[in-house]
Amino acid sequence: MAQARPATLARDLATRAPPPPVPREATAAALLAALAASLPFLLGWLSIAANRLVSPRPVSLPLHGGTGLGAACFVLGCLGVALLARRRSLLPWAEVTAGLALLALLATLGLGAGAALDGGARLARAAPGAGFWLAALSLLLSAGCCAAGRDAAREGEAAGATPTRFLAVAVPGIVLLVASGVLDPLSLMREAASRGPELQAALWRHALLAAGALALAGLVAVPLSLLALRRPRLEAALMALANGLQVVPSIALFGLLMAPLAGLAAVWPALRGWGIGGIGAAPAVIGISAYLLLPLAAGLLSGLRQAPADILDAARGQGMGEGAILRHIRLPLGAGAMLGGLRTAAVQAVGLATLAALVGAGGLGAIVFQGIGQLAADLILLGVLPVVGLSLCIDAALAAAQAALAPAGRRG
Amino acid sequence: MIRFDRVTKRYGHRAVVDSVSLEVRKGGLCVLLGESGSGKSTLMRMVNRMVEPDAGRVMLDGTDIANVPPESLRHGIGYVIQSVGLFPHWRVADNIATVPRLLGWDAARVASRVDALLQLVGLPPEDFRARYPHELSGGQAQRIGLARALAADPPVLLMDEPFSALDPGIRRGLQVALRRIHAETAKTILFVTHDVEEALLLADELAVMQDGRLLAHGRPAEVLRRDADPVVKRLFGEATLAFHRLGTLRAANAARPASATQPAEAQLPILPPDSNLKQALMLMLESGTDQVALPGGATLHLSDILAAA
Ligand SMILES: Nc1ncnc2c1ncn2[C@@H]1O[C@H](COP(=O)(O)OP(=O)(O)O)[C@@H](O)[C@H]1O
Ligand SMILES: [Mg+2]
Repeated sequence: MAQARPATLARDLATRAPPPPVPREATAAALLAALAASLPFLLGWLSIAANRLVSPRPVSLPLHGGTGLGAACFVLGCLGVALLARRRSLLPWAEVTAGLALLALLATLGLGAGAALDGGARLARAAPGAGFWLAALSLLLSAGCCAAGRDAAREGEAAGATPTRFLAVAVPGIVLLVASGVLDPLSLMREAASRGPELQAALWRHALLAAGALALAGLVAVPLSLLALRRPRLEAALMALANGLQVVPSIALFGLLMAPLAGLAAVWPALRGWGIGGIGAAPAVIGISAYLLLPLAAGLLSGLRQAPADILDAARGQGMGEGAILRHIRLPLGAGAMLGGLRTAAVQAVGLATLAALVGAGGLGAIVFQGIGQLAADLILLGVLPVVGLSLCIDAALAAAQAALAPAGRRG
Repeated sequence: MIRFDRVTKRYGHRAVVDSVSLEVRKGGLCVLLGESGSGKSTLMRMVNRMVEPDAGRVMLDGTDIANVPPESLRHGIGYVIQSVGLFPHWRVADNIATVPRLLGWDAARVASRVDALLQLVGLPPEDFRARYPHELSGGQAQRIGLARALAADPPVLLMDEPFSALDPGIRRGLQVALRRIHAETAKTILFVTHDVEEALLLADELAVMQDGRLLAHGRPAEVLRRDADPVVKRLFGEATLAFHRLGTLRAANAARPASATQPAEAQLPILPPDSNLKQALMLMLESGTDQVALPGGATLHLSDILAAA
């Protein structure tokens, strides 16, 4: 009896030992994946309109052949996300699987649209149904949950919850799907094909506007932040200005800029040669950059302040000059926080550049507003989807840079 | 070597350092002792111009440091602080090499200097060179801090409570290491502490501060005289002042030389060489005798200790 006790005890302990902890984000990721799997079946994959003028009607997906196979892959992918998310170490794979499920969803849609239109009128148009959109959104959110859980596992990681792996699978996958022609039956792709050069020009223009605004904001924020590091009153003024600008509605700010810039161009006509005038790129870039001042300056200042006081004291005490301290101490220790500010600003810049079309600066916004004017949902999407994609890609790229730049010898 | 000439520093209306004159001789180890907030750090930081005096001047080797640009002045003065302040994103070797690199030494000279310094502070170079600061214990980090301060072989070392944040055992080891390094390198050291034991263990000279003023200055035995200033007595603890004083007196100076009439008893406990009277008294208490023998054959009686104290 006495001999048997340790064994019983061990067995008791073994049965009572808690199972490996399920990550907190697992439930959310699994629920979202389940939602994604069921939504297209509940709310419809596809809607078809006889021509461009009548409103589309949901149709059922012809579930045979390639379409059925695609739908099965999609459902299996969602199931995989839910199962993989239950282990913290497998969260990255759950995220990748979510990307694969999204690709299966898209392929199913393209194949289904092809089958549904087969033999139909040439003017008939196939668009993704509500179920498709909500499923795609659920998958993105589910991947975001996985990314958040993965980052929480890495102690002290400030990379944020950008689903980098999801995007790394989804973006090249979507490019391949588009290139393969599987998606061609969709009206969105037809629209894109007929407006190819216009779309491409708008995309470049959009990126240029955003980059220009970012550069201009940087030109203002970098020197002012460096000065503000030493002068508390300048910092208060800079932050008050940057905060104040955020409150002005962007359309109002663009409008406010039009009059003075037009005036300037009237006084010095030479400025027009540089593209500066009441409408066009100048008010758009200046207006957008005004909003980027806050995230940029806040990120820069917080980055410059990352170095603890005792380390700065030691650096000065050894005879490092302020320039050397900036280069060797403040910048490397603050790079993460500064990139965080840049990340926020860059994503904002891409979003705000959509409004540049309102002052005649072009960009993807021009396509969106054209679509709104014509009540053409495909055209709106044609403008909006590249904006969303661009934002996500920039965010993911800067998040990866942030993770890579984290100082090798973190404080323990 | 370091001379403070009636230096004063005010913050607002309060004089944090109040007309202090003090000289630290070349190769000496002067301990600045005082309670927290008495102005020790402020006085010390005037030497490398981290604090500029409002009145008076600081001379280093006969030069008024107000005429030396702060950065080049600091390259010639080692600086060790309580929080160490190693750069977290630099390896140990790079941390130690900070000043040599600022001075433009070539890579080979820097590397051999780093290894020599790691050896000097008692850490095996091959094990520690490539570590990051977060991979060091508190005591190891402060040894690296000391190595970093010594990197460009500066003649002067400023140390602001360098061991105060460490556990007693570790602190003891670093104090011993510092004494050894001081003996080997003959640096002029200004050492700030609020710990009486540490001050008495390390000091060639003791400078006692209170409310920004210099209360007493001299060899530890002089500072702890029987007729010392009441504030000094209170600082060292009235009850233990005599005991601390014993620690400042050499046993050999109070002992009776070996004589033919009174041959030393063979079974007397023997005091190690260079002991002080405190250690002699401890040995008597430990072994229950009222006499101890010194290595040269001399003997020390309890009454000799009482007379000397
Ligand atoms: N930069 C400063 N501004 C205002 N007061 C200061 C400053 N530095 C030190 N003090 C004050 O001066 C006094 C002495 O400080 P310090 O020299 O650091 O003392 P200790 O090193 O002896 O503890 C303290 O009361 C402290 O608050
Ligand atoms: Mg202090």
